[in-house]
Amino acid sequence: MTTPDEPHSRAVSARLWGVQKSYGSVRVLDIPELEIYAGEVTGVVGENGAGKSTLIGTLSGSVYPDSGEIEIGGVPLAVGSTGSAANRGVALVSQEFPLVGQLSVAENMLLGRRPRVSKRRVLVDNRAQRAEATAMLEEVGLSPKQVPVNRQVRTLPVPTRQMLEIAKAWGREPSLLILDEPTSSLGPVEAQMVLGLARTLADRGGAVLFIGHRLDEVRAVSDRVLVLRNGRLVADLQPAQATEERLIREMVGTELGRGGAKATPDQARVLFKAEGLTADSLGPVDLELRAGEILGVAGLMGSGRSRLIHTVAGAQPATGGSMELAGRSYWPRGPADGTAAGIALIPEDRKQQALILFAPIHSNVTVSILRNLSSKGILTPKRERNAAKKITADVKVRMQSIDQPVGSLSGGNQQRVVFGRAFATQPKLLLLDEPTRGVDVGAKAEIYELIDRAAQQGMGVLVASSELEELLWMCHRIVVMNHGLIVDVIDREDASKERIMTAAAGSGPRAPGAQA
Amino acid sequence: MTAQTTLEPSPPRAASRAKSTVTGLLRTLASSPEAGVVTACVLVFVCIGLAAPNYTHVGNLQVMGRDLAQIGILAIGESVVILTGGIDLSVGGLAGLAGIIAAWLNVHEKLSAPVSIVLTLLICAAVGLWHGTMVTRLGVPPFIITLVTFTISQGLALAITTGTPINDISPLFSRISSFHVGDVPLPAVIFVAIAIVAWFVLERTYIGRQVYAVGGNAEASRLAGIPVARRKTGAYVASAMLAGIVGILIIGRMNVADPSIGSSGFELTAIAAAVIGGVALTGGEGRILGIAAGAILLELITNGLLALRVSPYDQQVVQGGVLGVAVLADRLRARRFGAQRR
Repeated sequence: MTTPDEPHSRAVSARLWGVQKSYGSVRVLDIPELEIYAGEVTGVVGENGAGKSTLIGTLSGSVYPDSGEIEIGGVPLAVGSTGSAANRGVALVSQEFPLVGQLSVAENMLLGRRPRVSKRRVLVDNRAQRAEATAMLEEVGLSPKQVPVNRQVRTLPVPTRQMLEIAKAWGREPSLLILDEPTSSLGPVEAQMVLGLARTLADRGGAVLFIGHRLDEVRAVSDRVLVLRNGRLVADLQPAQATEERLIREMVGTELGRGGAKATPDQARVLFKAEGLTADSLGPVDLELRAGEILGVAGLMGSGRSRLIHTVAGAQPATGGSMELAGRSYWPRGPADGTAAGIALIPEDRKQQALILFAPIHSNVTVSILRNLSSKGILTPKRERNAAKKITADVKVRMQSIDQPVGSLSGGNQQRVVFGRAFATQPKLLLLDEPTRGVDVGAKAEIYELIDRAAQQGMGVLVASSELEELLWMCHRIVVMNHGLIVDVIDREDASKERIMTAAAGSGPRAPGAQA
Repeated sequence: MTAQTTLEPSPPRAASRAKSTVTGLLRTLASSPEAGVVTACVLVFVCIGLAAPNYTHVGNLQVMGRDLAQIGILAIGESVVILTGGIDLSVGGLAGLAGIIAAWLNVHEKLSAPVSIVLTLLICAAVGLWHGTMVTRLGVPPFIITLVTFTISQGLALAITTGTPINDISPLFSRISSFHVGDVPLPAVIFVAIAIVAWFVLERTYIGRQVYAVGGNAEASRLAGIPVARRKTGAYVASAMLAGIVGILIIGRMNVADPSIGSSGFELTAIAAAVIGGVALTGGEGRILGIAAGAILLELITNGLLALRVSPYDQQVVQGGVLGVAVLADRLRARRFGAQRR
């Protein structure tokens, strides 16, 4: 850990001692001591899963730490209580906006409290509510013309909702304002407004904790930058020290191994090709995937990673360009077309998008091949169960019986069921979106082996992941996406976390439409 | 595979197997929602039968068979829709309207009874198609679109007849309803046949299994390549056609087409039978055996209350109480045996 040279003579806004938090056996946050100063903007950066959200959670009271104490403004915080944190003047602007879509802007701004100036005691005072909401919006630089206070919140675009959330927090006159990636959904103009607000609050003597995903923004606004990695504070830097290169190095830590996959791409056989492919917030993208190749898709949240996967699968309509699969032109109108053409998708959210949790394992593994298992439309339980047994043995699902609900399996085993189902369709192209999400470390290695095996059998594999290590470990090539475009294509030999992060964070040279 | 770090607990095997074939069987029974309903049917039948001797007479059993055909067939159609994750409020109203249409075609358009029946069923199928299309293409909530049909069909039945029952329908209608196969009324036979077909389609064809998958998790099914819209639409068509069949059975039984039939609350009875039979209102769970048993239980109780001479003013209270007890018992069972849904 690096400490700033100058001694701290500044007023302490928040102080953490020995704060620890684990989920299962994974320690996600471990901070022996940390002080956040009034009058400063403190930037926080880190990779996905570095512990940023948990840190915010403990400060705002939504996460209950396993141990440790927190003081806000010199008064101990009742840990794990959002009410206590709010009373201490902590205001959080989160990435998910807790706004009530059906209510108006004014009602949302004053949700849970009454207007400060109101003659009525029981009845709703609409006029006072509107007046106060308007004033709050003006505070953060939104004119009532831009955001009519009578509008239903759900009719507003996402960036505006983010601004409302900020205005709401601002209206509480916080002593510690926590901004969680506030600019990720904003355009450049609003982003500047938010950065300006953070500065204003700090200049007035408040403390701001700014969690950022764009390093240039964090550097521009912060008086001090903290770097988290694996739940620990690994660097505490002055702005002058916090060069982009240094930040990336601290975030990434040591290099891990790579080249774990044994499959070798068949250079001669282009399995899948996309040219000028566009969809909502995606593209144009050019892509070529060979048989037996594992192609990784990296990028930050919202970079178009998942969208690319879903567009190829047919789960999201493509709007332009062309695709070719195994030499034939391919243009899916829905996921059923994708499946028919020989594509299997393993979606990001296993529970919502892949499994029927209460249904037995055997119905889950056979759901994509029911038709093939049937003769003349008739499906006997025996045939289905035999198929299910074969599939689960093939991907080595550890279970008591194929009749147990799939929801009773561990995350890793649930994912095997999903893989088994995908393999059973004998696909040509396997699409994976966050294949190891919610899977523990031991089971991850086994998932990688399944992916490798698929490639060895000649499938093409397109895998999107936010975990750079896993992409580096198994991919032959990695494409990096930013704002819906491919901004870099990296061969296994040249791949490094730094190079990927530099391209993904968007501060390096942007080459729209790099070809893969 | 290398790392065996996350072994599931290994199954408790041979040791327990010896002692527990019987307890295991009981456990399986207790953990399946259908067993409870079937047991309840037997208990109710025996108890009321002992208390009121008339209850088990052939004549009364035949009455029950005809009643059962009506709510049983509606319950099956309703259940298929619920299995896909929807709901069909129109079945009662549509059954009433179907009877009126069949009678009107027969009496006023001078069409023969078989032709009227076929035309009526086709009209019902079209209504089901309309439901399915609205739900799958426009995303109208099933509750709303079928409520629309429910209201309109009640109104149409009155509008077509101007409130007067249609008399002089072809004797074929009443023959369908009063014919006996051996001692069993034909409507009851039709109900059993429909139940068997529904069981076969739902549990023994890939289409049926896809219906369960769609109701269990529509998004997962879509991504797995199942034609979700087609399965849902099919369910609404089936439900509407079964409602049509019930409507025809009813006019045959009364030998007159009464426009007030559609407002007898059949749809709620059908939903109740489905729920008692173990169908999850959230979709994807429930079997035909349970649904049939749920309908039978409701009929046994309704008829039993008459046999026991329970005051008509108290009957609905008892019926509601039974539904409450059934749901409570099912929740307790589910909590005990780990199925944390519904």
